[in-house]
Amino acid sequence: MDFSADLLVNALVAGLLLGGFYAAVTVGISISFGILDIVNIAHPAFIIVGSYVAYIINSRFGIDPILVGVIALPAFYALGAATYQLYHVSFERRGQEGLRGLAFFFGLLFITEVVLILVFGVDYRYVSAPYIDKSYTFGLLQLPMRMVVPCVMSLLMLALLQLFLGRTFIGRAIMAVAQDQGALRLMAADPIKIKRIAFAISIATCALGGAFLIIIQPVEPSIGRDYIGRVFAICVLGGLGSLPGTLIGAILLGIVESFTATFYGPSWAPAVSFGLLLLTLAVRPAGLLGR
Amino acid sequence: MRNPTFFAAAIGAAAAVFIVAALIGNDYLFFAGYTVVQYIVLAAAWNMLGGYCGYVNFGTAAFFALGAYTTVFFHKAYPLPIPVLLVIAAGVSGLVGLGTGYLTLRLRGAFFSIATLALAVVLQTFVVNWDYVGGSRGAYVIRPDSVDVFGFQLDYVRYLSLIMLLLAAVSVAISRAIERSKLGYGFATIRDDELAAEASGVPTLRLKLIATTLSGALMGMAGAPFPYYIGYVEPASTFGLTYAVNAIAMPLIGGTTVWFGPLIGSILLGTLTQIATVTISSAVNLLLVGLLLVGFVIVAPNGLVGLIREFLRAASPGRPDVRSIGLVAVASYGFIVGVLEVVFSLAALTAPDATGLMLAFAGLVLACLWIVSAYGMMTLQRWSPLMATIAFALSIVVGAIHIWADRTAFNISLWGAGGAVAIVSLWFLQRRYVQQLYRPKLTELEVAA
Repeated sequence: MDFSADLLVNALVAGLLLGGFYAAVTVGISISFGILDIVNIAHPAFIIVGSYVAYIINSRFGIDPILVGVIALPAFYALGAATYQLYHVSFERRGQEGLRGLAFFFGLLFITEVVLILVFGVDYRYVSAPYIDKSYTFGLLQLPMRMVVPCVMSLLMLALLQLFLGRTFIGRAIMAVAQDQGALRLMAADPIKIKRIAFAISIATCALGGAFLIIIQPVEPSIGRDYIGRVFAICVLGGLGSLPGTLIGAILLGIVESFTATFYGPSWAPAVSFGLLLLTLAVRPAGLLGR
Repeated sequence: MRNPTFFAAAIGAAAAVFIVAALIGNDYLFFAGYTVVQYIVLAAAWNMLGGYCGYVNFGTAAFFALGAYTTVFFHKAYPLPIPVLLVIAAGVSGLVGLGTGYLTLRLRGAFFSIATLALAVVLQTFVVNWDYVGGSRGAYVIRPDSVDVFGFQLDYVRYLSLIMLLLAAVSVAISRAIERSKLGYGFATIRDDELAAEASGVPTLRLKLIATTLSGALMGMAGAPFPYYIGYVEPASTFGLTYAVNAIAMPLIGGTTVWFGPLIGSILLGTLTQIATVTISSAVNLLLVGLLLVGFVIVAPNGLVGLIREFLRAASPGRPDVRSIGLVAVASYGFIVGVLEVVFSLAALTAPDATGLMLAFAGLVLACLWIVSAYGMMTLQRWSPLMATIAFALSIVVGAIHIWADRTAFNISLWGAGGAVAIVSLWFLQRRYVQQLYRPKLTELEVAA
């Protein structure tokens, strides 16, 4: 194991950039699992769908993948609203979120994966954009733009969401749903409607998250499985329902994974998130910034 | 039936199935049957935690693969007979189940589910990085041609099938025994209201750990003979989601609260996926499983058993009468034939000629009619007898076309038998006492309300 300053600095920076991107794929789970208490295991599947949407439009029309993500936001919002409606009618209203709701999302995850395999095969897909192959070097430090651009954009997205949740009426109502649905009803706001909006937003973030993912690495249908452990580890580590916590958790996981990959080999990286998740659950289940 | 009696009966049934299969003497039957029986074990094991306690385990593949890789390890290090491997695999998987459960079961149920999902990824990472058991390349396990069992020379695949059948009998007997024991009632209190159970002095954590360990051990046992059966084991498919989704879908489709729910689910779905794998492709078959899972949790949350139980409660309170049993039989027939029709129609969709395509589309429409009307009959929908009548009438027409298109003895006997059942069912559905059930008079409605 070479332990040089060069490797160390680059692993740290790569971890920071990776963490920024992880925050973007996790923020949806922070909203649905953290705030709404909906265990949406299918979230990574929606992200992969986002990646494939970016891939299709990018390869057909040559539009920038992030721009595709922005354009696809309303469609994903509608998809999320529809999914929540189905979930609510079939499980929440019957009080069967526990067993059958989980099985439902697991089924969705599975169906999405199989459909993508049937349609696109198991080949790795990638997008093309002018910044993907560029890289800037400052002394020891290397900055690959395919990492920097998604990281910056995802920080922007996180900031916007934080503003939305903290400053607007609907955002505050979403935070309130997590605390007391009954009280929300007394304030003449429909908790179901608020939850639908929040869940739809959480799925909408998948459009952008998917675009970032396919910029960072080539994508194939079953890649989403690796992200299940990651997103939930970050979400729990940061503290359920806290966006700043999500960012901190994401950056921590990014750095730890990057160091593992640099010093032990990339094939060990998937195990890191699970280890971190188990450790958090055993030591501090409330997470770093948990309420 | 008392537990020892049932246990003996289950073993006897397993032996009988084996003898019948051996008399038929088809090697493929054993090869396909092994997979179905393996799913009986997995579904029963999953249900001990999922169905009885209400905790969802997404890591069936992890426990299964642990068992399989235990065998691979010992195959390389020191070959052992399979019964010994079963015990070791049970120990390893049970311990992993206990550990995962101990770390996560004190928290909300969702955390346990997420942890099991991640467990598969982590164990896969370990196996990929462990060269001794083949790493990501996989490992070949050469099975002997035959084995000596009490003086009989037995073909090895048959030997494995026999072991799996006995294991299935044991796991079904265990689930039944649990269901009627103090342990089972404890599990049920956890499922219904964990907080109240804890407050009433039920040792919930200990019970959950027992369930996790037992269920994990059985899954590991199901995996132990797998390398010898398949001959080549590699991480990506052994840890694949297929096992997880099947082990969840089978109990949920059959019914989670009783021991025969997972049994029914695994036999139905296991056979169906074997047929679909042969006639279409394994990807479409997985899609089918996923769609059935989602469809059932939305439309029939208590599975087939729940559907039939609720029907019997409404149609013949007290003892089941001829009418309700007949309707259950007709609906079951419609459901099974409908699902099979979907599989065969999908297979025929790839046929190049126009007649084949037309028949495939007709089959799909018929299948929809059948499945929907079977569901309608079980939930006492007014329109369902009419719809079932249409489906049966159409099936006679489709059967006639099939016979006309391809006059082989097999086709004639298959569709002829289908036609005969359809005629009997049509006669039954038109009886007044059947129709009355779906058009209740006002007084009956009031009674029901």
